[in-house]
Amino acid sequence: MSALTLRNVGKSYGALDIIKGLNLDIRDGEFLVLVGPSGCGKSTLLRMIAGLEEITDGTIAIDDRIVNDLPASKRNLSMVFQSYALYPHMSVRKNLAFGLQNLSMSKDEINRRVDEAARILQIEPLMDRKPRQLSGGQKQRVAIGRCIVREPGLFLFDEPLSNLDAELRVQMRVELAALYRRLKTTMIYVTHDQVEAMTLASRIVVLRAGKIEQVGTPEELYTRPANLFVAGFLGSPKINMLPAMVDGDATAPLAKMADFPAFTLPALSTAARDITICVRPEAIHLDGGEVQATGTIRLVEYLGAERLIHIDLPSGQTLLFHATGPDQHVVGDTLQVGFDLADMHFFDADGVRMEAAIAQAA
Amino acid sequence: MFRFLRRNAAGYVFLSPWLVGFVFLALGPILASLYMSFTRYDMVSPPVWDGLGNYQYMFEHDRRFWKALQVTFTFVAFSVPLRLAMALGVAMLLDKGLRTIGLYRAIFYLPSLLGASIAIALLWREMFGVDGVVNGALAMIGIEGRGWITDPDTSLYTIVILAMWQFGSPMLIFLAGLRGIPRDLYEAAEIDGTSKWRQFWRITLPMLAPVVFFNLVLQTIEAFKTFTSAFIISNGTGAPADSLLFYTVYLFNEAFKFFRMGYASALAWVLLIIIAVFTALAFATSKYWVHYENERD
Amino acid sequence: MKTNVIDRSTVADPEADLAHEIRLRQKAREKRARLLKHAFLMLLSFVMLYPLLWLFASSLKPENEIFGDLGLWPSQFQWSNYTEGWNALPVSFTVFYANSAIVTVLSVIGNLLSCSFAAYAFARLTFNGRTFFFALMMMTMMLPYHVVLIPQYVLFLNLGWVDTYLPLIVPRFLAADGFFIFLMVQFFRQIPRELDEAAMIDGCSPFKIYWAIILPLSLPAMGTAAIFSLIWVWEDFLAPLIYLNDINSYTVPLALRLFVDQEGQSAFGQMFAMSVLSLVPVLLFFVAFQKLIIRGIATSGMK
Repeated sequence: MSALTLRNVGKSYGALDIIKGLNLDIRDGEFLVLVGPSGCGKSTLLRMIAGLEEITDGTIAIDDRIVNDLPASKRNLSMVFQSYALYPHMSVRKNLAFGLQNLSMSKDEINRRVDEAARILQIEPLMDRKPRQLSGGQKQRVAIGRCIVREPGLFLFDEPLSNLDAELRVQMRVELAALYRRLKTTMIYVTHDQVEAMTLASRIVVLRAGKIEQVGTPEELYTRPANLFVAGFLGSPKINMLPAMVDGDATAPLAKMADFPAFTLPALSTAARDITICVRPEAIHLDGGEVQATGTIRLVEYLGAERLIHIDLPSGQTLLFHATGPDQHVVGDTLQVGFDLADMHFFDADGVRMEAAIAQAA
Repeated sequence: MFRFLRRNAAGYVFLSPWLVGFVFLALGPILASLYMSFTRYDMVSPPVWDGLGNYQYMFEHDRRFWKALQVTFTFVAFSVPLRLAMALGVAMLLDKGLRTIGLYRAIFYLPSLLGASIAIALLWREMFGVDGVVNGALAMIGIEGRGWITDPDTSLYTIVILAMWQFGSPMLIFLAGLRGIPRDLYEAAEIDGTSKWRQFWRITLPMLAPVVFFNLVLQTIEAFKTFTSAFIISNGTGAPADSLLFYTVYLFNEAFKFFRMGYASALAWVLLIIIAVFTALAFATSKYWVHYENERD
Repeated sequence: MKTNVIDRSTVADPEADLAHEIRLRQKAREKRARLLKHAFLMLLSFVMLYPLLWLFASSLKPENEIFGDLGLWPSQFQWSNYTEGWNALPVSFTVFYANSAIVTVLSVIGNLLSCSFAAYAFARLTFNGRTFFFALMMMTMMLPYHVVLIPQYVLFLNLGWVDTYLPLIVPRFLAADGFFIFLMVQFFRQIPRELDEAAMIDGCSPFKIYWAIILPLSLPAMGTAAIFSLIWVWEDFLAPLIYLNDINSYTVPLALRLFVDQEGQSAFGQMFAMSVLSLVPVLLFFVAFQKLIIRGIATSGMK
């Protein structure tokens, strides 16, 4: 098991900065998920940790040992690739054993480890097959097996589930979670899928354009997003963002939003005039809430157990409402919708979160 | 320094055989050849500096040099277009409407593989001889034959025919290129009522232009290098009446028969420049007639 | 409007009949076109093969039947052309074939090793100047052999290598033929890079990656390169002509040429017989590895 320390890590190709001044501590035994839109540098960062990409700036240390110049094989880690990267000309058994044979390890020990991994992943019947004779899920297991046999201090995953179909993806996600509970090894996992991030991570790192936007547990990120980007990136359906103006004095600021009556804000941690108020779709109430507006239903998306209702407000903004109750709304209906102060997130003009003293507001 | 080594060591180790070869078998010889082209050198006594003497003699006095150029250019001008046209025509025949083409493909390619061998050159010599099989065939339809190879007017064309016979490689490349043209282009043209003839000029050729282009360049270079067949068929001399005096044959004889190494080097450099000019011309003009499919505007 | 309403269950459908007839006619037309095409291609095949067939037939004909005779069937099979041809020259063809075999086998090994090394460096390793060297390599492919011929000859003469096989073989171990490097680079690039990376994490050195991952996955390309270099070296005439002076070290192509030089009128049948034999190895490899050869040309887009 390994802990990682990233200090001022940077990566550039010529004048192009992929990653810039990144600091991150990864604790021993945690499941860290790197998430962000495509091109945010998450895969590059993972490959830098793996030793597959050169680090152009800063240091990466594994267990307090700086590994910048250490080749990948000496970093005591293993990696699952997006395409699995199984050696096509070797049987499953050889694939698993190949890395061990490069260490001077006894045949018995190699066999013991390979059999153990095969048992854990339930791929024993496949051991003599070639990769092309395996299904996507089976390849995935072998790829994970190839990592397990090395008993590394650190597992790296580069979007490992993105080549699987939806059903298998859910299944492998559950198995990965089980594997983590069993091995308790440090894992770093790159994905663009927020469901994977939320379900697997002990902590999530949200990256954008080579910089960390926020680090925290899934719950912290969901309930207290540090900025507008994180608020918008995590959560599906997407959070409602409503621009607002702050008026009045600092002790009793008054918020003015289109479509809603003005209301008294709780004291905010910083003073700003133009702010954005965010409300999650599931925090919207029908015919209730401390702040209310009237709108018309534009679209109802039926998802089975729930419905997503798109509501047009008079000014033209749209409110997304996540309905779970047995209501019978149809397009064109007029609704009274509202939400509570406690469910609001406030962001200043730069998109930075403002803390609200909710208790005083009541 | 350590870092530089670590990053580059493996690459240079793997490249080293080629690198050594490049220095001693290509770069060094090219430069040496350039130097020797300014000298008189018979391999017995050391080279004697002669400035531009070789080149001056070549351009002003050497009739055989001009003859060799004429023979070689004539050969290139006939053999390359004929071979490519043949290759393209047959490739198009094979490309559409037939289920199995494997055997045809193999038969048409076979001459390309054998064509460079001495055996074939010897065969050609006898087939086009005075009492060769070609005259035999002509006699059957009442035409009186002649010594195709001993007649300076026709000898070159026997080698053009030999070159044409070897249209297999460009045919295979064209075939691969034709396979790469999306069928829906033809279907769209069909719906628009475009005639087959126009389809060839408006779809096939433009889509194939990059392949045609590279083949033209490569085949032209290959044609300039033609040696073995001309050497064997002319019995190593370029006879009759220098009608088979291919540039390479002339160069070879100057170097290894008469041991005029300096002069032969000058000849080699002129050949190098001719080929370089042709290649450069082809690339320079290519943007007017070669359009790559994935070109960005 | 009413006429459009046809009870399809009772009335024979004229539209369907028409469609059927059109389809039949179309098929007939396509079949005619195909037959015509086949006829033409067969004729062309015959023309293409005729010289080879005639060569083979002539190698079995008595001397007086060879010339002016178009026929492909000898009146009597004169196998003695082969047995006598084999020993017609001062040195037996056994020696020539042995010489050719030595040169060819060593050259092929040299080509495969050195070219795959260079190709691996170009396709997979990062080092300063890679694109520059790659461009140089591509340029040497265009270089006419005649330009480097004389200095190379001087070099090998000074090394005392003339009249040995070294000038024919050593350049092959120095990746002198860029075509094969190019062919292999094209192939190596199709192998997913993630395999190299997985192997790197699995503790492989660059050499181990080359040996345990890239080479085993490139067997088709290696096969193609092996066959091409085998055929070209086997047929090579110019280099042996320059470097080999002693008839005892002649390769097969040089030996064949001796038939021309001593053109006694009685030697043609024997010359053709030996010509046929010289083509046999090439033909055998072509028949056995046709697919590899054809794919090799298509992927490299050359030669």
